[in-house]
Amino acid sequence: MSNVPILSLVVWAPFFTALVLLVLPQRSGNAVRLVSVTGAGISLLGSILVAVGYDRDVGGFQFREFVPVVPSMGINYNLGVDGWGVSLLLLTGIIIFAGCWATWSLKHRHKEYYVLLLALVTGVFGVFASIDLFVFFLFYELAVLPMYLLIGIWGSTKKIADKGPFAFAYRMLGVGGKEYAAMKLTLMLLLGSAFILAGVLTLYWAGGGTSFSMEDLGRVDLDPSVQWWIFPALWLGFGTLGGVFPFHTWSPDGHASAPTATSMLHAGVLMKLGAYGVIRVGMVLLPEGAQDWAFIVGCVAVINVFYGALSAMSQTDLKYIVAYSSVSHMGIVMLGAATLTVDGWNGAVYQMFAHGIMTGLFFALVGLVYEKAHNREIFQMGGFGRVMPGVAVFFTLACLSSLGMPGTAGFVAEFLVFLGAFQAHPWWAVFGILGAWITAVYVLRATRAIFWGPGPVERYADLTDAGGPEWVALVGLGICLVLFGCYPGLVLDNIDATTVVYLERIVDSVVVGVSP
Amino acid sequence: MSNLVPLTIDLLLAAVILLVFVTDLILPADEKRGLGALAAVGVAVVLGATFLVQPGGEAFGGAFVLDAVGLYLKRIFLAAGLLGLLLSIDHSDKRYPTRQGEYYLLMLFSLLGMCLLSGARELILLAVSFELMGIPLYVLAAMAKNPDGKNTEAALKLFLVGATSTVIGLWGLSFIYGATGTTQIAAIAAAESTPLLRLGMVATMAGWAFKLGIVPFHMWVPDTYEGAPTPFVGFLSVAPKAAGFAAFIRLFMGGLLGFHGSWGTLLLVLAGVTMILGNLIAVPQNNVKRLLAGSGIGHMGIMMLSFAIGTAEGLAMLLFYLAAYVFTNMGAFAVQTVLGDRYGSDDIDMYRGLAQRAPGLALAMLIFLLSLGGIPFVAGFWAKLYVFVAAWQQGQWLLVILGASMAVLGLFYYLRVARAMYIEPPAEGAQQGEPMALPARLALLAAVIGVVGMGVYPRPFVDSALEAARGLLGLL
Repeated sequence: MSNVPILSLVVWAPFFTALVLLVLPQRSGNAVRLVSVTGAGISLLGSILVAVGYDRDVGGFQFREFVPVVPSMGINYNLGVDGWGVSLLLLTGIIIFAGCWATWSLKHRHKEYYVLLLALVTGVFGVFASIDLFVFFLFYELAVLPMYLLIGIWGSTKKIADKGPFAFAYRMLGVGGKEYAAMKLTLMLLLGSAFILAGVLTLYWAGGGTSFSMEDLGRVDLDPSVQWWIFPALWLGFGTLGGVFPFHTWSPDGHASAPTATSMLHAGVLMKLGAYGVIRVGMVLLPEGAQDWAFIVGCVAVINVFYGALSAMSQTDLKYIVAYSSVSHMGIVMLGAATLTVDGWNGAVYQMFAHGIMTGLFFALVGLVYEKAHNREIFQMGGFGRVMPGVAVFFTLACLSSLGMPGTAGFVAEFLVFLGAFQAHPWWAVFGILGAWITAVYVLRATRAIFWGPGPVERYADLTDAGGPEWVALVGLGICLVLFGCYPGLVLDNIDATTVVYLERIVDSVVVGVSP
Repeated sequence: MSNLVPLTIDLLLAAVILLVFVTDLILPADEKRGLGALAAVGVAVVLGATFLVQPGGEAFGGAFVLDAVGLYLKRIFLAAGLLGLLLSIDHSDKRYPTRQGEYYLLMLFSLLGMCLLSGARELILLAVSFELMGIPLYVLAAMAKNPDGKNTEAALKLFLVGATSTVIGLWGLSFIYGATGTTQIAAIAAAESTPLLRLGMVATMAGWAFKLGIVPFHMWVPDTYEGAPTPFVGFLSVAPKAAGFAAFIRLFMGGLLGFHGSWGTLLLVLAGVTMILGNLIAVPQNNVKRLLAGSGIGHMGIMMLSFAIGTAEGLAMLLFYLAAYVFTNMGAFAVQTVLGDRYGSDDIDMYRGLAQRAPGLALAMLIFLLSLGGIPFVAGFWAKLYVFVAAWQQGQWLLVILGASMAVLGLFYYLRVARAMYIEPPAEGAQQGEPMALPARLALLAAVIGVVGMGVYPRPFVDSALEAARGLLGLL
């Protein structure tokens, strides 16, 4: 490749866009939006170029960039992407680009909104592009923090009646409020990152204390007993962001309270940071630790899938349904990871990709519906298909992907994961598929209740369909969903090239115990 | 005649004091505003001079020394003093225009005490400079004369606690002298461990821990912070703490490191309790100064942890932490000064909608809060990280985990302020913008540059701190 530092371009384009936004005058409406979309577009374009340019026959990290930061401690600005990173960069590019379009109509303090959103996405890009674990961690923090303000300022509050035995606590904490959601999310994720930092530093010292590079650390043979200790720290730390049961409780509150583009980005991409961290840092760098803990990780993931689906089914608030479905789907990612099989891992990474796009589309649509109807209770709405046919079509498409309909990206991912689960522990697959079945129940119920039932009632009779810029987001994400469902190889080939190499480390380092 | 070269910085500062004193006599009573500027420029010059002198050399037969640690500490004191003076200019011109001379002189004298303290290697010089640092603070705390009497309460609490702690500290020092027969710290190192010496150490620790606000000697902190003039509190929250640590470093690291077994554990326990209690104190506060007081106690706990592990790394990270803390905490108090002077209240409600009223000021405060909370890309992150790393290496993982959890708890109340600034709308009829005098702007700018600079590129600070610490412990 040429000498253009394309990864830095992808990573920092949003950040510098945010700086440009800061100097724009407060009231310049469309200028702010156009600049943001341009910045996100540069990143998207860059990530597409990276995805196309990645040479899967060569494999390994490509598009390398290296600038020493603290050479004495082995901290370097060391960027590079493998097949997984390529796919997730592409996902992030797609989601932020769509997210900027989807919140076009936001009026309240929109400049600050875009600044924070773009700062956040810089962190996300950075994590997926970092080889150096310390830089990885810094980007990770950058991705987590702006959420507090994004939810706190632009979020929505769901009134919860303070009745019952816990009324006192509800009143005290302000449960249901956006401030509550924002604080809960921030504190839980930061506690998680304390675990990550501890895990990463221990890994660094155990690996000789000379380099934070994932490549170098991958070559070190760590003492299995040390690995046994580091892995759970990383699993729980990253897992908090990845929605691992029982540390997922920030996610429904957070996603339900967050404004549209933030939900899209958070459910679509940020939760993937957690899952990516568990697999890329936890499992690949700690092969024996991964072996020891895989069974527990898998069992918890099954709980995630099943319990998340049940929780979603018991909700009547549209945003909570989608938010719990994210918990359930992230369980599928972790289940795939825990299988330690090629199919399972391919499925896990592909599920990150597919779920990212699907849930991005979901939250974009939910935001639209809420913005127009000012209601999120599914049983109070009905027949919206007549007044907003476009939204209805895309919502149904997202639902079909969510329940794993062949021809959508969700099918490919879930199929691979369950294939892997069947090879590892068949009963995991049984419960996983049961969870997918429950998913079908609640997403179809929600679709029917909102869009396809009788109605709409009088007060919703003059709702309008999505408008101008919002179509860009919906159509773009919808096309991706079908495209990557019909031609999974576009992404899957890159993922597969990397999976095999990484999995060989784990399989090689353990003599028995892995089914072929 | 003794060699006075190692005293260059201190003598320069004394010259500034004389200059301010004489100018105060000359200026008419209603035109004292320039005094603050003069003092600030003087301190800035002295601060600049610290970068020109070379560490090395001793005076008064080894009682005073200018080594790398002393120089690092002097820079911290002078930076804190400079920021404090810049913040005070507008504040004191409004609140007590005719008594400004006293205010600046007292602040400078306190600063001189700290500078001397940082080089003291003899018990009596240590005690005397400690008092030179401490006594002006009592007067300064009473400057404002608020009608609600909180000011008097603040000053009285500080005075009574300070006087008691001085007595206890001197009592301890006398035991140490009695047990070792010398006041030269270097000679104390050669002494044997006797019960009398251990009693002396414990009493000295208790006396100095009062100044630092280490639990269980912390009760005065929130009340004093609440009542005293805000720019002074900013100074009080940073410089005397650093000076307290300077005394700890000189005596315990310089002389009593061989007895680390007897004092290390005790201080570690106190550090742990301080972290917990400080943060718990801060959680329910609605007064920002009291909130910062609680958070300050918590930070003292972390610094004490870094000190108490008794290694060169720990000492270096303490120095780094202090430097980061100067910019961070002084910055937070700078914002508080601006708002407090304008609205006459220290309530958290004052911050409501600040992001919309004055985005720059709100962003600065957010940066300071994040730094206090230990978030990457700002100074506080590295400070906490380095301390925890140093403690972890010494096997203090329990305290590290405790510190990390308390850091998360700390974020809860820092974010409450952030919430008021960014999330809550401005109060009805609030005006756009927050007018700031030029000196306060300068102080704020310097603090932001310091916090972000140390956050993005901490290396020079870390390297020089490590060099200084290793030098003190003879590891170079």
